Amino acid sequence: MKSFNKSVKFFAHYLGRYWFALIVILVLTIAQTYMQVHAPVYMGNAINDLIYHNTAGEITKHLTVTLPTGGTMKLTFAQAVEAAVQNNTLTKSIAKVVLDNQTLSTFYKDILAFVGFLGAMMVIQFINAIIQAIVAPKSVNNMRKGLFAKMQRMTVKYFDSHQDGDILARFTSDLDNIFNAMNQAIFQAFAQVVLIIGIIWQMFNESSKMAWVTIASTPVAIVIAVLIMRLSSKYINAQQSEVGELNGYINEQINGEKILITYGQQAKSVDGFEPLNKKVRQSTFKGQFWSSVLFPIMQGMSLVNTAIVIFYGAWAVLNNSVDGITIGLIVTFMSFSIQYYQPITQITSTYNQMQLAFTGAARINEIHDQADEVSPKDGKIINGVEASVELKDVHFGYNEDKEILHGINATVEKGHMVALVGPTGSGKTTVMNLLNRFYDVNSGSVEFDGVDVRDIDLVNLRNNVGIVLQDSVLFSGTVRDNIAFGKPDATDEEVIAAAKQANIHEVIENLPDRYDTKVSDENSVFSTGQKQLLSIARTILTDPQLLILDEATSNVDTVTEARIQKAMDNVLHGRTSFVIAHRLKTILGADKIIVLKDGEIIEQGTHAQLMKKKNGFYRELYTNQTVFE
Amino acid sequence: MSILKPYIKKYWYLVVVAVIAVSFSALAALWQPQLLSKVITAINDKNMDKVTEYGWQLVAIAIGGLVLGVVNAFFAARFSQNVAADVRENTYKKIQGFSFANIEKFSAGNLVVRMTNDVQQVQNLSMLILQNIFRIPVLLIGGIILSVQAIHQLWWVIVVMFVLILIILGAIFPQMGKRFGMMQRFIDAINTKAKENLQGVRVVKSFNQQENQEKSFNETSDDMTKLNIGIGYLFAIVMPAFMFIGQGLVSLSIYLVAKITETDPDMKMVANITSFTQYLMQIMFALIIGGVSITFASRGMVSLGRIKEVLDTENDLVFKDVPEENLDGSVEFNDVTFEYPTDEEPTLRNVTFSIKSGETIGIVGATGAGKSSLSQLIPRLFDPQSGSIKVGGVDLRDVNESSLRKAVKLVSQKATLFSGTIAENLRQGKPDATLEDLKWAADIAQASEFIEKYPDTYDHEVEERSANFSGGQKQRISIARGLIGRPSILILDDSTSALDARSEKLVQEGLATQLKGTTVITIAEKISSVINANRIIVMENGTIESIGTHKQLLKKSKTYKEIYETQKAQEDK
Repeated sequence: MKSFNKSVKFFAHYLGRYWFALIVILVLTIAQTYMQVHAPVYMGNAINDLIYHNTAGEITKHLTVTLPTGGTMKLTFAQAVEAAVQNNTLTKSIAKVVLDNQTLSTFYKDILAFVGFLGAMMVIQFINAIIQAIVAPKSVNNMRKGLFAKMQRMTVKYFDSHQDGDILARFTSDLDNIFNAMNQAIFQAFAQVVLIIGIIWQMFNESSKMAWVTIASTPVAIVIAVLIMRLSSKYINAQQSEVGELNGYINEQINGEKILITYGQQAKSVDGFEPLNKKVRQSTFKGQFWSSVLFPIMQGMSLVNTAIVIFYGAWAVLNNSVDGITIGLIVTFMSFSIQYYQPITQITSTYNQMQLAFTGAARINEIHDQADEVSPKDGKIINGVEASVELKDVHFGYNEDKEILHGINATVEKGHMVALVGPTGSGKTTVMNLLNRFYDVNSGSVEFDGVDVRDIDLVNLRNNVGIVLQDSVLFSGTVRDNIAFGKPDATDEEVIAAAKQANIHEVIENLPDRYDTKVSDENSVFSTGQKQLLSIARTILTDPQLLILDEATSNVDTVTEARIQKAMDNVLHGRTSFVIAHRLKTILGADKIIVLKDGEIIEQGTHAQLMKKKNGFYRELYTNQTVFE
Repeated sequence: MSILKPYIKKYWYLVVVAVIAVSFSALAALWQPQLLSKVITAINDKNMDKVTEYGWQLVAIAIGGLVLGVVNAFFAARFSQNVAADVRENTYKKIQGFSFANIEKFSAGNLVVRMTNDVQQVQNLSMLILQNIFRIPVLLIGGIILSVQAIHQLWWVIVVMFVLILIILGAIFPQMGKRFGMMQRFIDAINTKAKENLQGVRVVKSFNQQENQEKSFNETSDDMTKLNIGIGYLFAIVMPAFMFIGQGLVSLSIYLVAKITETDPDMKMVANITSFTQYLMQIMFALIIGGVSITFASRGMVSLGRIKEVLDTENDLVFKDVPEENLDGSVEFNDVTFEYPTDEEPTLRNVTFSIKSGETIGIVGATGAGKSSLSQLIPRLFDPQSGSIKVGGVDLRDVNESSLRKAVKLVSQKATLFSGTIAENLRQGKPDATLEDLKWAADIAQASEFIEKYPDTYDHEVEERSANFSGGQKQRISIARGLIGRPSILILDDSTSALDARSEKLVQEGLATQLKGTTVITIAEKISSVINANRIIVMENGTIESIGTHKQLLKKSKTYKEIYETQKAQEDK
């Protein structure tokens, strides 16, 4: 229920700004429904006119009557009608309308009214549809933009602790479900409700007894429909999760197919596939069956209900037991009964869609409920590093119960380069996360010239800190866009200068469209190493005061490695920097090397100092990497 | 469509029952207006016996239609899921018989899409065929017959309606199709933008680019919205247009009947107007639903074609059906030239060398020199275009698949693990491995140090995409998987790249002492990884530049010396 309320709030928020359009839709829908219910009346009138006109025609055929005396006599039309009444072939009331319909003029009036009514109805329907065609996409657009904007404000922690796929699903399936429901279910359901109310109102106007008979079966129909929809959504959910499991298996196996082939595991892979496929075979059947039976069942219910109306009406007329039920009334209620069941079927069949939309809204709302990154109020503004950046007794863990850094103390003086080395899992990358507040320390502090980073304006802090990440990311766009990412208004000269410093200019010049070449993270214009160079260029362009380099050289060949090394030397020159090094050759010139192991500093000093330590950890690392004999 | 034939044959009884049920339920639907008009006539005639009789007929039709509808749904659903499951299974089995070349032709991701989305489309298609394709002709033909029977003078009104509806469908559907195609591209663009933003969240934040990202996302989102509104407009026109045609023709028919009977009264024709117009509307809806069904069906047909393409692909790399044998660790390349099916130039040219059983071999060279390609030929993942390769003295074209798989284990650079336990992953290398074997292999691969930290050790779960392991850990497990079966030949294709130098050294020492008879071929970027090999092969541009020990190569190989220079320790900078 709580999530239901949240969904309602969500829709209220995004649809609220279209309140005027919604009111117009409401009014038009009521008008349209009224016309839809009334149009058959006009058509009925026209057909009745025709019947009476034809009766008149038949009478006209027999104006000459044979007299008992043997002679003939010509009657006037009026006399003939009078005679028919006398013979009991016409009732008095019909006789009157037959007289009125001797010519087709009444019919013309009624058929024109019918056509005019239809025309008006179509115009209203068209306008209504146009307004809906604008409101639905626009409100979904706002939802999508709102979601993306929210993502920009959230903490890195959220993204680190949630799967990308799950977050992305909000943009794809959840928003899609909402949009489909708005297009096919929500407005429709509203129109159908209006229609039901209209029909009920009309029925009670005609005859309350017959109306009660017609709607008597409604609770049964609704219970059956809801049961079927429940079953179908239950089985469809079960189906989705089993299809998901199967597709997950297929995805993993086929993407690892080369390993399967190399290890001769194909037969085993089929063995694993079969039971999953069997399960899907069972569950998709149930889901598909139950979602397909609603329509025929409701159709049948509708006809049975019509039969009930007929039986009751016939019984009432025959026994004359109920006042006011005439033959004409039975005919009218037969069509009411059929009309009445259509919207009920429609509404129940959109139940699943509505449910998906509400779940989607709740899931998007879940994101909106997440905490934003906080920048301190009246945060301090720094302008580069004046004296030093300092880590003071830093304790930190991604989870409360698992501390990763156990009291780190380190200082980088202005213009100095500090290298962090150590085995995987020692906490090198974690240190980087704290410097520009992707995460905050559990205790201790990170300080720029004695100012705690938590007191510095967040945008200002990040403007001062540049990072080059181990996994370089490219954004779809041109090469130029990617280099100028942090400074979109950079001139071409600035971009080229940065690329030159990062040793990537020549590579770019050899591309078909040079700096205008389109790239994305997926297409392989650049190798891993070149991507790294590109992200170095990106950082150079913003000219940050403190630089953090998480070098990624594990997957590049030695030629590219040398280029990266040179680019790094260029960018590090004259800047205060932290370098996380995997290949130690790259940090020989560091002013200080900090060796981390299991979240603690075990050694620090210059390369020369550390190499002097017999049995030192660093010394062994270095020797293993670079000394061949 | 042809690939559905065997399934229609296999499940003919489901098809027959579903089709019979749907045809009869369509007939019931056709009978209904007739019956209602009979009821009305009976009521008019005050013939209560008849009213009751027709009333019961109506109940019979209602229940009959309901039962037939449910029966159809049951059998159609049975059929479509059976077809989908069978198609999925056959396609999967087919893919499991593919060679590397077959997989590269499609790409793994593409095969997955065919196995999932396309199979889903085929399921929808079979359901659609059994539910609608037979219902619509019955409704159309029956509707035409009954309406002409009602007022035969107005037959041409039906023709006019056919033409008008088909014109609208023909005019609108291509427009819709075009826009839906464009929509798919926008959806992709939105996805990409959101995905890049997620992956690059640290970059975006550290460059303070949130606003610009938002701006660019919003532009795409706005464009997509414009297209959506356009599609909405089309629908807004279509529905009233159909209404206009239907109701317009209904009014026209009434008018025409009035004209015909003006001078020549015909009570019967007038009485039949109601059923005529009802059939007219029935025909119209059948046409519209038919049009929509055909559009959906065409999507399903495209998917069928895509699946057929997979099923029709023949594996061109077939192993000989000869008795199993034990192959020793010798390798012989004789003038081998190899080109990837998708490439235009050979990756390896006239490569000749031989390796003795139990030797340790290093292969070095620049990226693209052909190191990995060479290693993939030994387990016969591809066949060379010319020349021959022997493993254990037997030509690869004359060897049984499982003997070769047992003898040669390749550990590739990208360590791929499968969800399941660590033990299950390791047992891919030796199905009957005991716990002792697992420990032995993990020890050598330096994996036991972290595996044994888990409370459930070897039964520790590997999550999807092995998200719960670091790159180094994945590589260690993958090395253990390679060596656990004590193969005659173990190929390590840059598979220690994420290991720190110390662990790598330990792995090498372990291999040297524990797998003495095994030929170990190590492909590496780092000289330190191959320095202790018996011989090192230096590759350049698809050929062998030279072969020798580290010391020999330093003297004779220019390429080797160059690589070495960039890696050796810099003395005092």
